[in-house]
Amino acid sequence: MSAGRRWGLLAGALLVLAATMVIYAGLYNIAADVPHTPPVYWLLETIRDRSVAARSRDIAAPEDLDDANRISKGAGQYAEMCSGCHLAPGMKRTEISRGLYPRAPELRHKTDLTPAEQFWIVKHGVKMTGMPAWGITHDDDLLWDVVAFVRKLPELTPEQYDSLVKNAPKHEELMQEMEMGSAHEHSAEHQ
Amino acid sequence: MRNISLRLLLVASLVALSLTLALGHEGHHAECNETAVNALKADIQAMGEGEAKATATKELDEAQRMMAKNDMEGCKSHIHSAMEATEK
Repeated sequence: MSAGRRWGLLAGALLVLAATMVIYAGLYNIAADVPHTPPVYWLLETIRDRSVAARSRDIAAPEDLDDANRISKGAGQYAEMCSGCHLAPGMKRTEISRGLYPRAPELRHKTDLTPAEQFWIVKHGVKMTGMPAWGITHDDDLLWDVVAFVRKLPELTPEQYDSLVKNAPKHEELMQEMEMGSAHEHSAEHQ
Repeated sequence: MRNISLRLLLVASLVALSLTLALGHEGHHAECNETAVNALKADIQAMGEGEAKATATKELDEAQRMMAKNDMEGCKSHIHSAMEATEK
């Protein structure tokens, strides 16, 4: 073994030992009221962005994301499931939005995410961010309604947002519809 | 009688003015401590690149400089400006 290789192995072993000590001594502060250092934040953000991009590549968005009915259905669900963390036009920050770390993005701002990426995030959630996997309880069609609404959100004034939510189908009704739909599908499958 | 009315009016105006100022500041209760600084850092991390983020970062840096000098009022003022920038 050459001297260069030996030094390389030693340096690698020392690095692993140092990392192990940092982890097991509990040196890294995971408190949500102390932000990550910029390099750690960058690393986690890059891992998240690349993971979402890679996994949403083959998802085809429905062509009717501009449909008023979809947007209306999404509005009610957004108000019920998302606004507590992601807020809405004219809405003050909530206690949960102020305490989450990393902060949940305020969706009244425009985003670079594609509809497929947004759908993937809504469906699968994001580990260690507080973002739940809504796909466990909601079918894809309902989740695309949410995406349709989220894409419309940056254009809305507070008054338009309130009006859309007020006139939207209630979240419980949509969930009942979904459950009845899947019950029909199951009975058809068993026939 | 007229003097009393004028005085009452003056007192009422002063009370109204102080209430307005207090309510105006209610949305941004700026404190100068480590918790407030960390909360702002987290808010800034989540912002998209742009002028608002640059302003918030600059104001937070100033606030920390003031805090190090023990100038708490100056620190609060910069914390307040940084908070405003994060909401743009």
